[in-house]
Amino acid sequence: MSEPTTMTAPTPRGKEKETPSGLDFEAFAARLEQPEELRAARRAAWERYQELPFPTRKTEEWRYTDLSKIDFASYTPVRPARDADEALPTAVADVLERSGDRAGILVQRNGRVVHVELDPDLEAAGVTLCSLETAASEHPEILARTLYEARPEPMEEKLWTLHQAFLTGGYLLRIPRNVKLEAPVHVFRVIDRADALVSTHSLVVADTGAEGAVIDEFVSGPLRALSVHAAIVDGGDNATIDYVALQRYGRGVNHFTIQHLKANRDTKLTTFNVQLGSDLARADVSSRLLGAGCSSDMLALWLGDEDQHFDHHTIQHHAAPSAHSDLLFKGALTDRASSVFRGLIRVDKGAQLTDAYQTNRNLLLSEDAHATSLPNLEIEADDVRCSHGSTTGPVDEMQLFYLMSRGLTRRQAQRLLVLGFFEEVLGRIPMTGVRGRVLEAIEEKSGT
Amino acid sequence: MPDNTTITELGLDEYKYGFITEGTPKFKAQPGLSEAIVRQISAHKDEPEWMLDFRLKALRIYESKPMPTWGGDLSTLESTLDQIYFYLKPQDHMERSWDDVPEEIKTTFERLGIPEAERKALAGVGAQYESEMVYHSLKEQWSEQGVIFESIEDGLRLYPEMFREHFSTVIPAGDNKFAALNSAVWSGGSFVYLPKGVKVDIPLQAYFRVNAERMGQFERTLIIADEGSEAHYIEGCTAPVYSTESFHSGVIEIIVKKGARFRYTTIQNWSNNMYNLVTQRALVHEDAKMEWLDGNLGSRLTMKYPSCYLVGPRAHGEILSIAYAGDGQHQDTGGKVVHVAPHTTSQITSKSISKAHGRASYRGLCKVYDGAVGAKSNVECDALLLDATSRTDTYPYIEIDENTASVGHEATVSKVGDEQLFYLMSRGLSQAEAMAMIVRGFIEPIAKQLPLEYAIELNRLIELEMEGSVG
Repeated sequence: MSEPTTMTAPTPRGKEKETPSGLDFEAFAARLEQPEELRAARRAAWERYQELPFPTRKTEEWRYTDLSKIDFASYTPVRPARDADEALPTAVADVLERSGDRAGILVQRNGRVVHVELDPDLEAAGVTLCSLETAASEHPEILARTLYEARPEPMEEKLWTLHQAFLTGGYLLRIPRNVKLEAPVHVFRVIDRADALVSTHSLVVADTGAEGAVIDEFVSGPLRALSVHAAIVDGGDNATIDYVALQRYGRGVNHFTIQHLKANRDTKLTTFNVQLGSDLARADVSSRLLGAGCSSDMLALWLGDEDQHFDHHTIQHHAAPSAHSDLLFKGALTDRASSVFRGLIRVDKGAQLTDAYQTNRNLLLSEDAHATSLPNLEIEADDVRCSHGSTTGPVDEMQLFYLMSRGLTRRQAQRLLVLGFFEEVLGRIPMTGVRGRVLEAIEEKSGT
Repeated sequence: MPDNTTITELGLDEYKYGFITEGTPKFKAQPGLSEAIVRQISAHKDEPEWMLDFRLKALRIYESKPMPTWGGDLSTLESTLDQIYFYLKPQDHMERSWDDVPEEIKTTFERLGIPEAERKALAGVGAQYESEMVYHSLKEQWSEQGVIFESIEDGLRLYPEMFREHFSTVIPAGDNKFAALNSAVWSGGSFVYLPKGVKVDIPLQAYFRVNAERMGQFERTLIIADEGSEAHYIEGCTAPVYSTESFHSGVIEIIVKKGARFRYTTIQNWSNNMYNLVTQRALVHEDAKMEWLDGNLGSRLTMKYPSCYLVGPRAHGEILSIAYAGDGQHQDTGGKVVHVAPHTTSQITSKSISKAHGRASYRGLCKVYDGAVGAKSNVECDALLLDATSRTDTYPYIEIDENTASVGHEATVSKVGDEQLFYLMSRGLSQAEAMAMIVRGFIEPIAKQLPLEYAIELNRLIELEMEGSVG
């Protein structure tokens, strides 16, 4: 099945546009050539979606983000399509040209995976990198224990069911036992169709002792679109996974991402969310520490300008003893931008010897920027070390003055201080290739 | 970890105020809440028309607001409230001398040590028994300087204009469900006015006692600290232990005018069958300073977040909160600071101790409005867990709309370290002594703020809860 992918001129934001079909599940699901399990999962999700009310600002977890401003029914879901091999969009080609080594590339344009490339040595070693559509027919057993099994948190459920009902594109990366990826897999999602709903998925499965890193990059020009992404990162015993989501959609896009990270015995997870683009971005990131000795490093950066709104919701759920989690979320806001951080450390009874930390720092660069921070703890075990900290404030006038006395303009000095503020997080990214790519994207946004 | 007997030896579980005093009230309303009850209360107090209207309006607000679903477990509260006596009048008149207070009530307060404390170290004392203030007195030295310290009913009767000008301006009836309930059925509490520049250097104390079973106490306090004045107000609360639930919902409004300083200390030691849902708020004007010292040791569930609205430039607000949650207790406490004016500053320090299935939650708000240039706020929460069955939570809300503000929040959770215990025991202390010393050290930053030399009652409560028979 093919569908036309035409470049559409960006729709002016805020203006209602008549859509041919909108959120029509039956039209979407008709004639889908997909395995029965996936179709059943879609239908169940759609039924649940219709039952569920939209979270309102009276829902505690949605208190600072108003969903009523988004007309979900006005977006048209992009339909799944067979993989194709197309020329890479220029936005992707440019990035790839500049970036260094990589283990593989996967590019999705609207609803279709248009390019998959994997290091032949890794392919020979049994690594799988394929579109989710392919995975549904070729690796149903993996989807059965991950995607179909996943249970969203109550506050995620509305968007989770929307995501699952209209699931299109995305990928499975599976690294077999003891195989190590030396360089990251670089994945791009490109949206160039206006009024599209893109529900793309990232499924990363690392077997016992496997190691790897993924960069999920979300790209578009300025256009009206809705992106509802979810990621499942499943770390086997003693596996090491770095998962990076770099969001640099154009203005006009609303982006939601739900990320479920699972750590088993001695698993080492690092997640890094970077929000630069879109009008509104909401990330729900939860780490479930299920095995003794595992660790989860959760990092995030955001740089908001104009009237951008970024909302981050995190859970560090310690269900097993002797696990370690450390969260560092830092954001800088200018113009009228706003951000929310709500983080929860939950330590279950019996999760003794837990080490859990959580830090949120916000830098307010303009009079009308505002930040909300809610670092929460729920502790039911006593032999733990838990702490959290949160600070919000302006850039230090003394530091600005110093840099300006050296000949920098106020803007240049401020930019330098913001990059310095971000360095603390960037310095904790294990893979240098990833660090370089993120820094480049931030520099691009912050101007010169 | 020390074993349970050690914890018991600490005396943390003892409740020495659980005795019941026999006596017949002068008037007891029907249990449950209705418009008729509200009218009855108002009639008993011989109130002006506007107050009755205020109460009835508040009752409608209360009925229209849903039960909160956050914080503690309030699921059985609705059925509890149907059984509660909302108004219970223990005697006909309020007395100015302990000699005139009915014998059985006087005995109660003597057992609690109030008259003795008054003689020794207090500027004024108010005592509330069930729904009414039974005793109120202020030393002459202060009344001569124009200080007013009356029961809230007498405040309304004797100073109607000042009362009406300030009443419900800090906490409107619609503020929250329980403030609305209090506004409808309030009875008892204090009315305090400090004239310009008057500094009362020893504390005023109010004492709240619930004696009857299934009793609801709804005291209401209004405090006006005029420009440049200073005072310290202390309240203490106890009740007997019944198998049924009792209910306490106070509203405390404080206006701290330009350059004034006010400190309000609560040591709440309600019995473990008490729901304690209190709204306390201060409006802090230019260069004024407000301090809340909030000790929550008793009750089944407390939800209480003393707050400072910093509305004048350079106003300062401080909240020191200490909570102890033992078996069957949930202390959902903390504080709120709202920065509205430039260069306002605030500090919240919270310390909690949980043990034996107890749950201590810190819940707080730091809000900085656009225009509160250069505002500074710092929040610190520390939680100590004494055993593996206890629970602690931290829920801070930090909302910053002003970019020149700097705000920090920090929280830590820890247990009594085995190394700490071992070290102290290697120096010859018993395990219980070592434990007590560590707990004392943990609460020290707050305990040292307490005016121990004056507030005898309060001192004893802290000793009882935190140090016990050890030492």
